[in-house]
Amino acid sequence: VRTWLAVVPALLLTLTHVSARVSPRGSDDAFPQAVQPFLADHCFGCHNTTKAKGGLDLKAFRTADPVAEAPDTWEKVAAKIRTGEMPPEDEERPDPAAAAAVSRWIDEHLARADAAAPADPGRVTTRRLNRAEYNNTVRDLLAVDLQPADEFPQDDSGYGFDNIGDVLSVPPLLAERYMVAAERVSRAAVFGTGQIKPTLVRCQPRARSIQPSPLVPARYDETGLAMPNAVHATRRLPAAGTYRVRVFTGGSRPAGSEPVRIALWIDGAKIAEQTLDPTAVASFTDDKQDFSGKVREFELSLSAGEHWIAASIPAIFEGLPASYGGPRPSALPEPPPPVFVPPADADPERIERRRKAFEAEHAAPVPANDARISYFEVAGPYDVAPGPSLETKQHLYACGHLSGGHTSTCPRTILRSLTRRAYRRPVTAGDLEPLLALFTSARAHGDSFDEALAAAVHAVLMSPDFLFRIERGGPAGAGAADADLLRLTDHELAARLSYFLWASMPDRRLRRLADEGRLGAAGVLDGEVRRMLQDPKAQALVQEFGGQWLQIRALESAAPDRDRFPAFDDYLRISMRRETELFFERIVREDRSILEFLDAPWTFVNERLALHYGIEGVRGPAFRPVALDGLPRAGVLTQASVLTVSSYATRTSPVLRGKWILENLLAAPPPPPPPGVPPLPDATATAPQSVRQQLEAHRANPTCASCHRRMDPLGFGLEHYDAIGAWRETDGNTPIDAAGALPDGRTFHDTAELRAILAGEREAFTKALGAKLLTWALGRGLESPDRRLVRSFARDLPRDGYRFSALVLAIVHSPAFQMRRGSPS
Amino acid sequence: MMLTGRCLPRRTFLKGVGAVISLPLLDAMTPALRAAAPAGPSRLAFTYVPNGVTMADWTPAGAGRAFDLPRILQPLAPFREQLLVVSGLSHQNANALGDGPGDHARAAACYLTGVHPRKTAGGDIQNGISVDQLAAAHWASETRLPSLELGCDDSRTVGNCDSGYSCAYTNSVSWRGPVTPMPPELNPRLVFERLFGAFDRDADPAVRARRLHDRRSVLDAVTGRARALSMDLGAHDRRKLDEYFTSIREIERRIDVAEHDTRDLPPGIEKPPGIPVGYADYVKVMFDLQVAAFQADQTRVVTMMLGREGSLRTYPEIGVPDPHHPLTHHGGKTDWIEKVTKINVLHMELFAYFLGRLRDTPEGDASLLDRVMLVYGSGISDGDRHAHDDLPVLLAGSGNGAWKGGRHLTFAPGTPMANLYLTLLDRVGVTPESIGDSTGKINQLTDM
Repeated sequence: VRTWLAVVPALLLTLTHVSARVSPRGSDDAFPQAVQPFLADHCFGCHNTTKAKGGLDLKAFRTADPVAEAPDTWEKVAAKIRTGEMPPEDEERPDPAAAAAVSRWIDEHLARADAAAPADPGRVTTRRLNRAEYNNTVRDLLAVDLQPADEFPQDDSGYGFDNIGDVLSVPPLLAERYMVAAERVSRAAVFGTGQIKPTLVRCQPRARSIQPSPLVPARYDETGLAMPNAVHATRRLPAAGTYRVRVFTGGSRPAGSEPVRIALWIDGAKIAEQTLDPTAVASFTDDKQDFSGKVREFELSLSAGEHWIAASIPAIFEGLPASYGGPRPSALPEPPPPVFVPPADADPERIERRRKAFEAEHAAPVPANDARISYFEVAGPYDVAPGPSLETKQHLYACGHLSGGHTSTCPRTILRSLTRRAYRRPVTAGDLEPLLALFTSARAHGDSFDEALAAAVHAVLMSPDFLFRIERGGPAGAGAADADLLRLTDHELAARLSYFLWASMPDRRLRRLADEGRLGAAGVLDGEVRRMLQDPKAQALVQEFGGQWLQIRALESAAPDRDRFPAFDDYLRISMRRETELFFERIVREDRSILEFLDAPWTFVNERLALHYGIEGVRGPAFRPVALDGLPRAGVLTQASVLTVSSYATRTSPVLRGKWILENLLAAPPPPPPPGVPPLPDATATAPQSVRQQLEAHRANPTCASCHRRMDPLGFGLEHYDAIGAWRETDGNTPIDAAGALPDGRTFHDTAELRAILAGEREAFTKALGAKLLTWALGRGLESPDRRLVRSFARDLPRDGYRFSALVLAIVHSPAFQMRRGSPS
Repeated sequence: MMLTGRCLPRRTFLKGVGAVISLPLLDAMTPALRAAAPAGPSRLAFTYVPNGVTMADWTPAGAGRAFDLPRILQPLAPFREQLLVVSGLSHQNANALGDGPGDHARAAACYLTGVHPRKTAGGDIQNGISVDQLAAAHWASETRLPSLELGCDDSRTVGNCDSGYSCAYTNSVSWRGPVTPMPPELNPRLVFERLFGAFDRDADPAVRARRLHDRRSVLDAVTGRARALSMDLGAHDRRKLDEYFTSIREIERRIDVAEHDTRDLPPGIEKPPGIPVGYADYVKVMFDLQVAAFQADQTRVVTMMLGREGSLRTYPEIGVPDPHHPLTHHGGKTDWIEKVTKINVLHMELFAYFLGRLRDTPEGDASLLDRVMLVYGSGISDGDRHAHDDLPVLLAGSGNGAWKGGRHLTFAPGTPMANLYLTLLDRVGVTPESIGDSTGKINQLTDM
């Protein structure tokens, strides 16, 4: 067996059954002998000089090794032959052994060509900080967590991410917001956030249907969080301080109930509970206790940033009158049944009407679980600490005078330290003089020391050196044959690392290593990367990169039809997102294999998600790892978050899900539909035909078939999961058929078999994740030399057990990450 | 931030939408530097709807003065005499022209520019200057904000927006220059702060003066840095920074204006709390803000997108739980078309609310509706086919007599939409040689 086979076991998996039977042609054979005859038989009919279908003329390649001339083209050719996408279905099928041998020949020559190619780091356009980076950088620079960039206009995305230098522009609106944000942040750093005025916001459920019942279920969520009568919201708080949460209730309980409790939850933990006794206030009816308009206020101290706030009625089926049969029935005497009192001075007819109305009203038993949280209000912050925090003072006052008493050299000391961190590089007199001049002028104008300092800090935050990540590179030609190639300085490398893994500025340790010129030293760089991946700030990688790669950011605006999916509420929405984040975090933190994204037999759930997935024995809102043995779920693909964002509001879409898999897991995005094609019948779940039948009819059209035979079957394999990711056996009245056949002839009967097939696509998945992560790390679209790097991930990662850090390190070690092309002036 | 349970300040509930912003006309509000301006300047307001409309329920049967308002236009019946329904205009440059799929991105990008946008997911976006920005540049020195861009789609975009086109194209109809889209502001509170100042309203004059001085010094420091940076950076990087420095200069100008602007916040106006939960409430607040902006002459040019192109918004409140865009690919199914039409009608009802607010806001001896030129439409006509010809176009208001209303105008197929823009700009004294693919002005706006 040839050596290259040893390093590409992924390929082996799909090819061994072929190579066992035929002896492959020697890879030392030149192109005219090894490949051309196959192409002539199967490809030239369309891909010739005159037709050049899909813009590809394979006849034009005549040299002994054309792969080096157009590696990306041949990578695609090999992939299409290997997956059976080409030649198209209606053409004669090539001999599998011959096809395998040809794609293998191409792969091997690709590896050689890649190894021989000169380094080319490409060009990264100066990037401004995006919203998340701005928030995080300000937080780390001054320990001021105001999240000011939440008020910036949306960052445009390109290549699937919102950190692409070429795409991030600075419209006038953004510059205006910079001005406001920088002033707020600088004043908060010098004077504290005490100037923030308290605001009051009301948090209401989007839509819900509460169906009260007099029956007490055998099992229910005793925290109340998963009940439709709870209210969940996420709020981003501008500052740490005291907040008041006022919980408004509604609905009713039968007379004779014990008081109910109102629980307040912050980030999944119960913070406080208060009882609410409806008997304390008069009720309009005598067999019900009315909650409407009753309020409980909680005062609590909260940190700045995003919080998940929820109010619920725990143990709602407890304390009911004994006749309801709930657990822990009420000790209060059961009230006598209401008695009809005929109105005085009324004629018999009228009394009879009243009696009928009375009987009708009391005929149905009073629901046991009608009490609800209507909404809550969050007011604050109050009692914000008057000055800046100690941490902020330590960040800002490099002169060491944390409580005033500055000397004449302090402004320079303070601003030198601040700019070094804010500009992420050593600073010069030229950087400092304008700031000191500003400080002096402000003083001369009547500003206090603090006012003048705030103005100088404001100027630092408005400087392009802060807002943009400007890279110049080290001395030309250093360490490279190409005089145009520049190695990044250690400080620039530190910033690339920190924005890649933390979406924020370098920390003290990275800065020190860069100052000492040791960051690039052997062993140091790898150690730093590993340390950074363990740091809590690496959550940004999960939220920012992960949220866009897996597209779960779209959960935020997902609006599943409430009639079809009444189970979808904000608790479930929040839980879905959290599951996927925790899953990704664990892979990063424990440096697990990236292949677990495809088939990990574990995940994280809380009670709400456990209910959604049908997992027993999980209580409470806290997430915990669970094994998925015996459950039809594994990997990200069957997580409710992914299944929801790849569905329409009213129904599943095999096409969307197939496309999601091809784009995000297999690096084989289908081209967009050609213009003028008839619309997909995909959406008519209500029509008598099943979605599957319609899609199959659709694929009879050869124009559609070439892509849809790749997308649709993948989506069919997930049809057991509805549009919010719950398991189902039928769609309407049609039993689910989750079988499918891929273009290369492989078939599956259900999701598990489909997953097994996908789990075998290690090479494709490594390339898919690798290309996405590289795009994110570089902040630019990938070009031909980058494709080379992506191919090398697929070759090298098996050696490292596909560990997540191995992929990150492969990116960090690449010329694209460590070098830049000099700027033409 | 994840928008789950919607959070809203209580004020909204107490006061009700529509009452949140009401701005009496106060002559004292007119800043001194605008004293020379005519009593009631014309304004331009563009309202964009995504994904096309059901043309069968949009295009009136008759032409000239004899036309009936079809179902979608019915909500505008009270304003019939101020309407000009325009049929037959096209955006050829929104067609593929060899670029393949991406009609939604092209529809939005081309809508106000008439230019065929370059197909790219990133790097080298290229479009044209939009008609609103040409007008904005003209009036830049007369109002505090040259223009205002608004949107009503608060969802975040994920990934590529349309078939290999950058999200910049689908998100913005307004383009200050070929590479500078003007992203819409989505949050009513931030729009308010932009229009009427975010801070310093209650600071004492001495503090205010010091702050202004400090702000100007901050900007001086930034522009000082511009010279040094432009020396040692490559062309590509320089372009990015230039964009920033250009914006900074605009803020400098605004600070100069603010220094002479000593008026207080007019009474009766209140800051909207945030993005309302219901779509109709959301859109109404944004329209209210436009009225307030025009009334206080803070800007004379507004563009507003009722949704971004390709919008997936659902409208369960009117019986349409399905996302908008897939519905428009109805393949002729009548129940789907009906749902699309319902959405179209809702949008038009909201637009009628806007017209009503303008009509009820007096200015001098007329109303704001008499001053404003409103253009309502989409860069797509039939959403099912992604057609960019015979676009749904509607002019409303009057723009100080820029047109004679109460008519349905029909143009020969293929007449560029940009010709209409050229004509409208001419009405306010802006006379570029051409806009996008324009071939000349049209003279039917006033000719009977």
